[in-house]
Amino acid sequence: MSRPKELRVRRKAWPKSASLLRHALDAFLASNKIDADTRIDIITAVGEALANSIEHAYSPNRVGDVELRARISDVEPRIAVDNIDGGRFITRARRPLRGFGFRIIKMAARTMHIDTSGGTAIRLEFDSAQA
Amino acid sequence: MKTDDAPAIVRLAGELDVYRKDEVRTALQSALQARSVLLDLAGVTYADSTALVELLHFCTDLKDANVPVALLIAAPQFARLIQYAGLDQVFAVFDDRAAALEYLAART
Repeated sequence: MSRPKELRVRRKAWPKSASLLRHALDAFLASNKIDADTRIDIITAVGEALANSIEHAYSPNRVGDVELRARISDVEPRIAVDNIDGGRFITRARRPLRGFGFRIIKMAARTMHIDTSGGTAIRLEFDSAQA
Repeated sequence: MKTDDAPAIVRLAGELDVYRKDEVRTALQSALQARSVLLDLAGVTYADSTALVELLHFCTDLKDANVPVALLIAAPQFARLIQYAGLDQVFAVFDDRAAALEYLAART
């Protein structure tokens, strides 16, 4: 078993950061030979988590960071991506991953876990064959 | 096709994400008075649900007014996003421009 490959990238949770973070993740996945079909699912699901952080994690006058942590290992689920922000998960009604975003993530990812013990961390897991 | 029967064309390209939500909304609003609309999104390389919501509002408004709308989409990610959101039966999606125009002409 080889050592897992990891990526960490963090930016201010501004709308323009979403593209940069997605591209950093996609480059990491491509450089580790994750197949194109799986990359589409990962970028689609993580893009929804990022959009959720950018739109809902912070008040406009106190914008904090959003961070992606990706890990590729030899065993399934081979790929895990954490989308982490410092937003306070005050109530589900105010800070939901609802509607299309929630539905899209559930379709694209194998599993989703939400941890609100410190900020909000959404862990998404994916299976993959290597290209 | 007569000029006044030609569909309004809204063309958007690149990445339609949370950063461009307002731009997408403004572009769509420019076609709200049209008799038929071709949303030429063939140059879109990525989209997220924030863009999808704008498209859904636009298409719903026009459907209520009996105005046909066709979406021209090329990127696999965009097509998959629509499918995952469960909107592939709501939008008239085409990957061929001639087929999209034919669809609109038959309904105008």
